[in-house]
Amino acid sequence: MISFLILIGIVICFSAILALALNFQWGLGGMVNFGLTGFYALGAYSSALLMLKAGANTFVAALGAMAIVAAVCGLVAFVTLRVTEEDYFAIVTLGVGEMLRLVALNEDWLTKGALGLTGVPRPFGAAIPPQYYQYFLLALAMTLLLATLWFLGRLARSPFGRLVRAVREDDVVAATLGKNVLWVRVRIFAIGGAIIGLAGSLHGFYYQYIDPTQFSNIVIAYAFMAVIAGGRGAHRGAILGAAIVMLLLEGSRFLKDVIPALDSDRLAAIRVIMIGAGLILLLIYRPQGFFREYRLRADFK
Amino acid sequence: MSNILRVTALHAGYGAGDILKGVDLELAAGSILTIIGPNGSGKSTLAKTLAGLLPARAGTIELDGRSLNGLGAPKRVLAGISYVPQEYNVFRNLTVLENLKIAREFMGANGKAARGRDDGLEELFPELPKHYRIAAGNLSGGQRQMLAFACALAGRPKLLILDEPSAGLSPILTREVFERVERVNRSGVSILMIEQNAIEALRISQSCVVLNGGRVRACASAREVLGMKDLNSIYLGDASNRI
Amino acid sequence: MLQTAFNGVVTGVIMALPALAVTLLFGVLKFPNFAVGAMMTVAAYLAFALNAQLGWPLAAATVAAAVAMGALCIGIDQLTFRPLRERGAITLMVASLGLGFILENVARFAYGNTARSFAIELARPFRFADVRMNHEQMITIAVSSAAMIAMWVLLTRLPMGRAMRAVADNPSLALVRGIESPRVIRWTWFLAGVLLALGGVLIGMDRALEPPMGSNYLISVFGAAILGGLGSPLGAFVGALVIGVVSELSTLVIAPNYRIGIPLLAIAVILVFRPQGLFGQPYIRR
Repeated sequence: MISFLILIGIVICFSAILALALNFQWGLGGMVNFGLTGFYALGAYSSALLMLKAGANTFVAALGAMAIVAAVCGLVAFVTLRVTEEDYFAIVTLGVGEMLRLVALNEDWLTKGALGLTGVPRPFGAAIPPQYYQYFLLALAMTLLLATLWFLGRLARSPFGRLVRAVREDDVVAATLGKNVLWVRVRIFAIGGAIIGLAGSLHGFYYQYIDPTQFSNIVIAYAFMAVIAGGRGAHRGAILGAAIVMLLLEGSRFLKDVIPALDSDRLAAIRVIMIGAGLILLLIYRPQGFFREYRLRADFK
Repeated sequence: MSNILRVTALHAGYGAGDILKGVDLELAAGSILTIIGPNGSGKSTLAKTLAGLLPARAGTIELDGRSLNGLGAPKRVLAGISYVPQEYNVFRNLTVLENLKIAREFMGANGKAARGRDDGLEELFPELPKHYRIAAGNLSGGQRQMLAFACALAGRPKLLILDEPSAGLSPILTREVFERVERVNRSGVSILMIEQNAIEALRISQSCVVLNGGRVRACASAREVLGMKDLNSIYLGDASNRI
Repeated sequence: MLQTAFNGVVTGVIMALPALAVTLLFGVLKFPNFAVGAMMTVAAYLAFALNAQLGWPLAAATVAAAVAMGALCIGIDQLTFRPLRERGAITLMVASLGLGFILENVARFAYGNTARSFAIELARPFRFADVRMNHEQMITIAVSSAAMIAMWVLLTRLPMGRAMRAVADNPSLALVRGIESPRVIRWTWFLAGVLLALGGVLIGMDRALEPPMGSNYLISVFGAAILGGLGSPLGAFVGALVIGVVSELSTLVIAPNYRIGIPLLAIAVILVFRPQGLFGQPYIRR
């Protein structure tokens, strides 16, 4: 039981980091990332490949993954935001995420396709005896989560954070004040990307193997649930949301033992249905605690 | 003479505060009322609230004795109010004919859509038919204004609300617009007009209301207002309008 | 290559229906609806249930599924999107994403992950000018064309069709011209549901029925609608054909699995050079 809780705890931590990234890009920056799953996969694969193919150690691999995802996110933001509004941006991120998933599935020479990558190293894997490793990983994950939280908090209180809020509130005004709105947005999206990369690396460290099935719609559904359930104000909310979502849904694995008619496909389907319904119900019934809608256009007068 | 429109203590706004802070006004049936006032006084907000695009936060609106409170814009159209916004007052992606068809199909006092072409619009706006197949967005400003005007009349409204009908038009076109307004009025439609081009508008109006800061500041006959020297400088628009 | 182009035309006409649904929904409801893929899936499975399990001929099953889907869409809108109407495009998009997950997994729950097929008679394909065409493809072209023509008539000749275009053009003006927006919204959803059902069945005929069948087309359908111009029915048709043909032709030079890159590229190019698409009008957000 303790073991189970520790393992869940680790998963909660990196899921929370992913939720924080979404919260940052969307809640603070007003840019909703519908391709989250794809970028997460990019982070996980990058980190694993840097270790397996380039022989990097776990630390460097994680940093590398963060850099790669940040770069791709920044690029997408740069190319798209110059010319478009929030709806199109959402569609583009959806498409890019899908593209990334396809690359993971099809580029066998790089990613081993559907077979996935096995034997992903973990930090200090050799140094710590296996029976204690989970404690270490939990501590590491929690530390990284807290570090991310601290970083985002610092960022929010910094001049950049004020700039971000100004742009989000009224980008027309911000632009007339001479702020380079596009560049601010690109940076927001890129920073979010780095955090996604971090979450992806942790994913790899935890599971020690990476395959395309780990990156299905459930991931982005979890993340949205966490962010929306957590509500505004606090990145802390996203973490709480992630914890609740994870516990509820991992806990539902036990349903299989209780209801024999449910095979794993059906169980997986039910979980997604529950998350989807939960998402919609939250949106309808919990508008407070849900951050203000970002509008690029001036309000109807 | 009875009042076609009676507004009492009307409050409305968009965000935190109210823009209309208790407007009272009356419009006698069959007459033309012009509302003037500086920018930001709430004239357009008043028009939108009367039309039903903005919910009233307090107060009442009565059309021909019947309360409009709680009715959405489409139902108000059926009750007999017709509104021409200042901008974006035609469906740009639809042709002129389609614009008219929509107006005829969906508007209609007495709850029935006006049928057929017996609404006299072709006589009143003879220049329209030759543009029937042109997309409304491709018309000139003056032609669009006329189309908007025509559509607003399709349902034979009791009250027509015009928000700055002469905005952006040349003096000749402005004169034409006001001539049509007079003709329409003579056929029995009461008219409430918001105008910056106050002099021209007041010349064809019977009464005038001065709006400022969301409240009615003065209300008099048009002739009286035209004669007032001290209101001229503040409320009657730019210098070219001075008598 | 002619064969590939023909296959592209078939793919294009299949996509034209959901692309039109997307464009209608966007025009009237003002947000991109990411559940349309899963809606096609559900409708296809509905037709499957009637056809393969209850023995109905596919045509009858399709009609029934189309009407059912239309009604279902109205219901879904009442439950899911209406409460969120005032909340802005992003909220609605997220809700539509969640809805898509629900619908797709309802299908998965009911029918599992194995691919299924409709119960239709096999017929020998015929050749015309070196191009092999099978019966399903001909039916697809016929059905889709008929549906597009019917939609064109509806949108240009019928009052409700004009009302839909009016609401897409200028929602507040539509209100003061006597158009009740709930009615228009209901009709839009019904028509979208019918179009999506037809599209779903055609996909099921062309490939197979499996839970991701509709979502696989999501990006392509949006690409088609955006290329043609969001809000332009003619654009949806043309955009779908272009995306369909180019995607198929692209398989001659790049790996088939990356077909999805074509609509993505189209979206990117359109956004940079002509955001309103081929036939769209720049939508003035006020």
